[in-house]
Amino acid sequence: MAPLKQGDVVFDVTRPGATREQLVLFSAGTEDPNPIHVDEAFAKRAGFPTVLQQGPMTTAHLGALLAERFGPRLASLDVTFTAPVFPGEALRLVGKVESAGPEIVLALSVHKPDGTQSARGTATIRA
Amino acid sequence: MNMQLEGKVYPPYRLKPDRALAAKMLAGQGVAGVAAAVPPTYFLFLRGAAHGVDLFADLDIPREKALHAGQRYEWLAPIGWDDEVEVTARIASLAEKQGKGGKLWFADVEYEYRLLPARTLALREITRLVKRS
Repeated sequence: MAPLKQGDVVFDVTRPGATREQLVLFSAGTEDPNPIHVDEAFAKRAGFPTVLQQGPMTTAHLGALLAERFGPRLASLDVTFTAPVFPGEALRLVGKVESAGPEIVLALSVHKPDGTQSARGTATIRA
Repeated sequence: MNMQLEGKVYPPYRLKPDRALAAKMLAGQGVAGVAAAVPPTYFLFLRGAAHGVDLFADLDIPREKALHAGQRYEWLAPIGWDDEVEVTARIASLAEKQGKGGKLWFADVEYEYRLLPARTLALREITRLVKRS
């Protein structure tokens, strides 16, 4: 495999929108008791139109993509959640090489179908 | 937010990765089957609540006012299914800011995961929580 260079796209994938049942499973799997992910009335009282997809699900998608590509060379992942994600909203996850030196730095972005960025971040890969 | 807790270090607790919980995480992500390896983000702050690290209660962040601003992972050594880790949580920083819609409070909490019995640092996780006014 050719060495990565600045500008290379490492992944550009779209994950289908999660169902409410998936949100329930993810909360169970992460031991997340927050009703905002599973209880419609609670989410509305908190000011949202419906339940919120878990931020760590976005992190988990990115972590899985990075681990699949880089295995134990994956050194770090930093994710900032910039907009809420609701059930049924697909996520486009893009990882692009920002710099390739002694370590590789990737710029990460996550967008919803309407173009809203829901997360951004960086990952570092050991040489 | 309970600003006096900045710098607090919780007593360590122990965790072992659980295949059934990992399978639910994967199912939640839309992936069928079992995880061959422990998912890279399997360990996360939420698992501390059952071990005395309930950030939402301690920091006075009601669930309906809580937002998750972000996460950081630093992987230093692999953690396998049969490994046991010791987890230490520290409230690294707390800050209050004035937002457009009112006050916001920010908490950065750092978790260190050490492989037992050698206590080798294997993973560092930082979670960033926000309390809305």
